[in-house]
Amino acid sequence: MTTDTASAEVGERQQPGAVADPRTRNVLIVGVGGQGVIMISKVLALLCQTQGMQVKQSEVHGMAKRGGVVFSHVRYGAQVWSPTIPMGEADVLIAMEWAEGVRWLPFLRPESGVFIADTQQVIPPFACRNRQFGADMAYATETPAEIIGRVSDGFALDAGRMAEELGNARAGNTILLGTLSATLDFPLDDWLSVLNQFVPKGTEEINRQAFLLGRDWVEKARQDPAGPAGLAPELAPPPIQPDIDVRLEITAEWCKSCDICVKLCPERCLELDEQQIVRLKDPDACTGCRICEWLCPDFAIAVHHDNLAEANA
Amino acid sequence: MTETNPAGFEIRDYLRLDLMPHFMCPGCGHGIALRALLWAVHELGIEKDELAIVSGIGCSGRVGGYIDANTYHVTHGRPLAFATGLKLARPDLKVIVITGDGDCLAIGGNHLIHACRRNLDLTCLMLNNEVYGMTGGQVSPTTAETRLTTTTPAGNTEPAFDACQLAEAAGAGLVGREVTMQTPALRNLIKQGLEYPGFSFLEVISDCTEIYGRKNDLGESAEMVLSQKSDMRPEAYGNVADQPFRPNRLLTGVLARNERPEYGETYRRHADGVANGGKAGA
Ligand code: SF4
Ligand code: SF4
Repeated sequence: MTTDTASAEVGERQQPGAVADPRTRNVLIVGVGGQGVIMISKVLALLCQTQGMQVKQSEVHGMAKRGGVVFSHVRYGAQVWSPTIPMGEADVLIAMEWAEGVRWLPFLRPESGVFIADTQQVIPPFACRNRQFGADMAYATETPAEIIGRVSDGFALDAGRMAEELGNARAGNTILLGTLSATLDFPLDDWLSVLNQFVPKGTEEINRQAFLLGRDWVEKARQDPAGPAGLAPELAPPPIQPDIDVRLEITAEWCKSCDICVKLCPERCLELDEQQIVRLKDPDACTGCRICEWLCPDFAIAVHHDNLAEANA
Repeated sequence: MTETNPAGFEIRDYLRLDLMPHFMCPGCGHGIALRALLWAVHELGIEKDELAIVSGIGCSGRVGGYIDANTYHVTHGRPLAFATGLKLARPDLKVIVITGDGDCLAIGGNHLIHACRRNLDLTCLMLNNEVYGMTGGQVSPTTAETRLTTTTPAGNTEPAFDACQLAEAAGAGLVGREVTMQTPALRNLIKQGLEYPGFSFLEVISDCTEIYGRKNDLGESAEMVLSQKSDMRPEAYGNVADQPFRPNRLLTGVLARNERPEYGETYRRHADGVANGGKAGA
């Protein structure tokens, strides 16, 4: 979906051309559904309009409800032609989810781009495709320190936790907006007044605090890159489940060859043998999910998680 | 993880192993319902001696017999009547009725509505497979319209009962429905029913694969189980005009609660009054 917000009604809008810095700037905002990507891009777009600039914004947000990818391109300047940012030309890449930030890195300007990322991990189901106990998760393995070392200017902060400490876990996106504000040249008062128009009634104050928190965080990180604010938090994807030994106990005399377990096992690791009795064809594929145990009408399969107690200890 | 882990639940501990394997056909959903019931009993820590299972006639009626507890296999349609007497005499027992769609709604329909009306502390598990399986596949009160059975060779023309609506209207304290495919959810519903202090009516959508499924070409056991899932999807419910009527099959979970006094309590209070020379109802 592409929206040309340049034509929207904004009070006291100056004419394009009267802008101090006529270059087109590109801000790419990425995250997953429900994090507030669109809110950030709207605040930024309206702010640029109040500064007399032309703005083009385009976004993809259809997958929001399923925790899918959401991104928004915001381009502003004296005259903006295309609504999307070409590869390698984002001046700022702001990621509300860690792996999304890493994924969109090629869009950042290699020599001058600013990278801002929340270290929050929203792990998609896709990353858990290996359902074995103790399996690795297919999630970005790059650490914040690695990425920050790779970009020309970068900030990684745990905005989710900062917001929680502030008293409203939902204010994480406002913290990142504050962080963004520290990297762009717009007056603080204008940021705050535009922000006020977008936050829900009654949350103006907490959002103002969150905004300032994010903004100050950048200042502190700049002054002291090794200090607590500048240090990128450590993070590693948690293991899916502890390493557990799975054992299938089959009571062949009870099996009635109904085929339910064979067809409903998600790993397709069961089969009926020559006698039409169930058999574990592929023990390595079995994840111990218990679906066969639950759905066998004849109680012919029992799934044992032998060292479960130790693994959880 | 802990939610779905049976946590020490060994179904063999609750079965009469000398009777196993059970007599039900390959793929019959009643076995899955039995597992869910025993799992719920295990998780609630109900002792076998405190547990009484009353079942009627039909495939569903045989299910209770495999449980290693106090079990009664009674006359057709009357498990609720027996259970009512048992519970009034022995309020210390957990009394569970296992019945089927024919046993409960046709032969025992009268007993059902009055059990709902009294709201005595019983848990009634109605295994609904839409057919009289044991006697050869005759039409039952829940057989969907157009379905083939031995007594409806050209397709059923009668509308089917929505047993849950019936139970709710008759005053059952707790009314719920679940499919066998969602075994952990079924266990949860049965647990709710067992913990409810009053009459809980739970309908279990179960598959009769060998007779009903085969006659109506509903696929093999696995396909029938899977179709429970698609039936629960709203889009599958969509075009009712094109599909055989399936009364609200898709609504699952706790469907109704009626906050009403539990009958056993009332009965004992009045009985005490009479014994002390007063009048019932005084
Ligand atoms: S536990 Fe059963 S259903 Fe699950 S993967 Fe193993 S064999 Fe398949
Ligand atoms: S579900 Fe049970 S009875 Fe059916 S084939 Fe599998 S083990 Fe045998």
